[in-house]
Amino acid sequence: MAKVQVLNVAVLDNPSPFGNPFQFEITFECMEDLPEDLEWKIIYVGSAESEEYDQVLDSVLVGPVPAGRHMFVFQADAPNTGLIPESDAVGVTVVLITCTYRGQEFIRIGYYVNNEYTDPELRENPPVKPDYTQLQRNILASNPRVTRFHINWEATMDKMEDSENVDPTPNSMLPPTSMPGKAPPLGLMPDNSMDCL
Amino acid sequence: MKLLKPSWVSHNGKPIFSLDIHPDGTKFATGGQGEDSGKVVIWNMAPVIREEDEKNEIIPKLLCQMDNHLACVNCVRWSNNGLYLASGGDDKLVMVWKRAALIGPSTVFGSSSKLANVEQWRCVTILRNHTGDVMDVAWSPHDVWLASCSVDNTIVIWNGRKFSEIIATLKGHTGLVKGLTWDPVGKYIASQADDHSLKVWRTMDWQLETNITKPFSECGGTTHVLRLSWSPDGQYLVSAHAMNNSGPTAQIIERDGWKTNMDFVGHRKAVTVVKFNPKIFKKKQKNGSTPKPSCPYCCCAVGSKDRSLSVWLTSLKRPLVVIHDLFDKSIMDITWTLNGLGLLVCSMDGTVAFLDFSQDELGDALNEEEKNTIHQNIYGKSLAITMESQLSTTIIENPEMLKYQQDRQGNQNPNAAQGSSAENQTPKLTNVLNGQSLEDIRKNLLKKQVETRTADGRRRITPLCIAQLDTADFSPALFNSVPILPGSSASTQLTPQISSDSNTANSMGLRPSHEPSTTTSPNKTTEDNKDSGAAPVNSIGMKSNLLLTSASKIEPMKALDSRFTERSKATPGVTSIPLTMCITPLDSHRVKDSKEPKGKDETSSDSEDKIMVKSLSMAKRKGEMEGGEVVEKRKKGRPRKDAKMMMPTSQPFPQTTVSTSVGPVEPSRSAAPVVVFKLPTPSLQKSFSTQVGTDAITYLEVENEISVVSGARLSQLKWSREGREWETLLPSRIMIATGSSDVVAIACEDRTLSVFSACGRRLIPSIMLPAPMSALHCSGHFVMVLMTSATLSVWDVQKQAALVKNESLNAILSGTDATVNQSLLTQQGVAVVGLSNGKTYCFNSSLETWNLIADKQDSLVQCADFRNCVSSQDALGAMGPLALTQGRNLSAGRLASRLSSAPHLLQQGMTLAFLENQLSSALILLSANEYRHWLLIYTRFLVNEGYEQRLRELCQDLLGPVHKSTCSSWQPTVLGLRKRDLLTEVMPVIGQNLRFQRLFTEYQDQLELLRLK
Repeated sequence: MAKVQVLNVAVLDNPSPFGNPFQFEITFECMEDLPEDLEWKIIYVGSAESEEYDQVLDSVLVGPVPAGRHMFVFQADAPNTGLIPESDAVGVTVVLITCTYRGQEFIRIGYYVNNEYTDPELRENPPVKPDYTQLQRNILASNPRVTRFHINWEATMDKMEDSENVDPTPNSMLPPTSMPGKAPPLGLMPDNSMDCL
Repeated sequence: MKLLKPSWVSHNGKPIFSLDIHPDGTKFATGGQGEDSGKVVIWNMAPVIREEDEKNEIIPKLLCQMDNHLACVNCVRWSNNGLYLASGGDDKLVMVWKRAALIGPSTVFGSSSKLANVEQWRCVTILRNHTGDVMDVAWSPHDVWLASCSVDNTIVIWNGRKFSEIIATLKGHTGLVKGLTWDPVGKYIASQADDHSLKVWRTMDWQLETNITKPFSECGGTTHVLRLSWSPDGQYLVSAHAMNNSGPTAQIIERDGWKTNMDFVGHRKAVTVVKFNPKIFKKKQKNGSTPKPSCPYCCCAVGSKDRSLSVWLTSLKRPLVVIHDLFDKSIMDITWTLNGLGLLVCSMDGTVAFLDFSQDELGDALNEEEKNTIHQNIYGKSLAITMESQLSTTIIENPEMLKYQQDRQGNQNPNAAQGSSAENQTPKLTNVLNGQSLEDIRKNLLKKQVETRTADGRRRITPLCIAQLDTADFSPALFNSVPILPGSSASTQLTPQISSDSNTANSMGLRPSHEPSTTTSPNKTTEDNKDSGAAPVNSIGMKSNLLLTSASKIEPMKALDSRFTERSKATPGVTSIPLTMCITPLDSHRVKDSKEPKGKDETSSDSEDKIMVKSLSMAKRKGEMEGGEVVEKRKKGRPRKDAKMMMPTSQPFPQTTVSTSVGPVEPSRSAAPVVVFKLPTPSLQKSFSTQVGTDAITYLEVENEISVVSGARLSQLKWSREGREWETLLPSRIMIATGSSDVVAIACEDRTLSVFSACGRRLIPSIMLPAPMSALHCSGHFVMVLMTSATLSVWDVQKQAALVKNESLNAILSGTDATVNQSLLTQQGVAVVGLSNGKTYCFNSSLETWNLIADKQDSLVQCADFRNCVSSQDALGAMGPLALTQGRNLSAGRLASRLSSAPHLLQQGMTLAFLENQLSSALILLSANEYRHWLLIYTRFLVNEGYEQRLRELCQDLLGPVHKSTCSSWQPTVLGLRKRDLLTEVMPVIGQNLRFQRLFTEYQDQLELLRLK
């Protein structure tokens, strides 16, 4: 049983220009005092085709979390347009809010996002190079897709440290001999390197 | 019979695997498949029963839905007291749900359903043990145990009073276990599995009682479930799928000899579920006809894979009714209303049907009392003595009792269905918003919230606490984007009740069949689905918000869909069906690409194993370390060679100190055959050391013949405690040295006994003993001597008086070839002697008698069962000389099942006798703590079993004369405990049973009167 239940996410400032920060007002309830912070992330899916273009817009620690019902607003800057494939700038994509506890993701809330030009002219004849200043971002707030994962809420210290200590070199083909199986597979970036983006 | 298919009871068309009606009849639970998880839904019963309630939009239909199960829910079962709901599913878990305080309607965030949760049920425990899908769960009578069975071939018995504790794991099935049923008498539990067997297990020792295979040899494992059922009179067990002459049957198994001579025949496919009506019926007396004695009978519903349902009366040869084509798919579960006239059935096709019978059809249901009489006649015990359902019919006669009962209910089960106070719950979520409305707060939340940077530069937000939770009992309420409503509006609508008496049952208006009334149009939903093409089933409102016009824009959404459910890279390898145990990245990398569920399962068990191993090895290491410590302590203690002589280094309860010592008697006894009535002497040692005392550890070191001064041999005794030391010299060799916190006693070879104070001052000149010493004990300021002549003396050193003077052990030794193998002196100066034949006696100096206080062969001890009278906090009181002498026997008695093989009446008597023995033994041992402990248990037993006379006598003795009278011999205290304090302690126990409310009031009043004086 998850110790933290997300009760509601209100999407603020929606729809809004593409460059505006994302704002989510998150309400959650915690069954007992959490000794460690929750880590929330907003991930913007740049392209449906590949996870390569996922951007972690921001990650924030939330704590301390005593037993009770809490809320906070998670604000994160708009995605870096330079990292979005031009062909995917306009249209439907997804923004994800994830929450992890002790490095384990236990909830993932996804919203469809529709980016489109407000100007009918541009809508008819979109420029080859997307004009982000003219794009409007519309988050389908009424239809969150919530996926809950079962995680271990209790302290398992050594395991946690392991996950934090994963070798951050993403393209290393050779796993460190001392830790077989721990090397991230090719093309998969471990957690902490994502934060750097 | 009337038939109804309430179309609003559905899991959005997904299969419903199980359903169960709440014992109070106001609601029922369904379990099955949810969107991408398992789903448990609690529904209001009133709209099923009454058409007007169904049409009334104010009356909610859905009360609560829980999608915490990670995979399909196979079984939901209410506890008999109605407080808990247990659910088991494909995620290998059993969850136990309890209703939380009312805090207003809410929905599950992100779920498609916009219906509010009227009631909040939260998961209070997750029971993890099974390594495969949990197929069935069942509460034992009185909810003492919860059983769950699984495709891992095992059945787990959980402690219903203390969750997560496993009482037993029943292994023996070699196939998937798919059904469970408890014997209503509580003596057995039966299970049916795919291994062509039905097994009956004893609850006394959790061993196999019988294994029935013959009727199942032809069966194939084709059914999802095999829900078997036991008749309410306990006489018959009816299996699910069995075969007889290649035809599917439900096998009837007689309790008497487990004979399998009868079966229910007629279904064309395998029987999936059998459910007995909870009532026993007797033939309806027709008006005018002379009442003739008729045999009571049971009623049983059978559901099958052939989609049909049959209802049988054991008094008829043919079924009462058979309903074909009720469903499109196999029937999965059946539940009866408590009054026995209503029946809910669910099917794999995701629908539910309600059958309503009239009394004319089924007969007159016996009331609880008549049912009890039947049980009493068959099993010699009534099952319902303390059943709350029966008590609730008793009228509470005075306000004090009412108040007490309410308090009790408030403490124990704030959400109890039967409680009159249950409806006026105050919300447990305390608002901490300081009068600000939630809306105001939300407007400024971003500006106001506290945001800091951690040392490594990361953003950290302190969330705003909008409500504190009462951790004792709170709600995991899930709400929509509406502010929290103070109090509940909808819950008060939940008034309709089905009471178990037949009057209301008569008035139930049911109509034959019914069209769906006000459900959300399913067509619209499917349209939406088509539009989006991405098949998010929960897509209501999608169209309006998102302008999805061109097909090209829809395309990427399919690809995007997977992103909703796949875990981020931080913890890869897990798809939407997460694992029971958290997978560490270490494990998960390995299975990143294995998409088959099988692979995932393996991983999960792998990682579990690993963790297990890890913790095991940790435990082991810990154990070793502790072992090491112990060894070290022993070294410090400088024990003599005979370790048994040592006092326990740390006794758990110093206030009930008992000095034991076995050592000196044993070694020599084993060396030479013992002459009767002649006790052995300890062997003389050159030097030895011993450890005494409990609160402050004291070491006594003896060195014999240390110096020879002009031909005289001296022996030295060295005493040390917490750094303080003294020494003394004695002219004769020391045989035994012992001490307590107050005194030190030394027995010498020359038959003298010397007693010193704790500072080494000689208290009494050497006492000349009539015979050599066999054993010597000190406790407090008492000294006990057991001499080889089998005589006993006890002195009070402080008062310089003899408590026991040369008392012979002849009385207890004569006629036996037993020897003394244990002797001890209690803190209160009572001498206790244990014999090798398992009997233990103490000497009472005022009666001048030897009293038997423990007997290992005592069958009373073996058979007495007072388990349900022992509360957890009582455990502490059980420590003391009585517990010490009785030792292991007692726990054996506690293990003996309340429902053991002995007939109930006999067992009741044995338990009573045993408890009275305990009480008087504690009294004679002057062990106040134990006396209180046993008094409480004894009272609880009297209350539970309804011994009014004894209870009254007990109360009278504790209360004593209310008015002062000189001629009364009543003592106001017993063992230093004030009797009236004891009575005050006992009163709440008596108040638990409404039957004794007059007794309760009578003594409560008098106590109150005395208090005012």
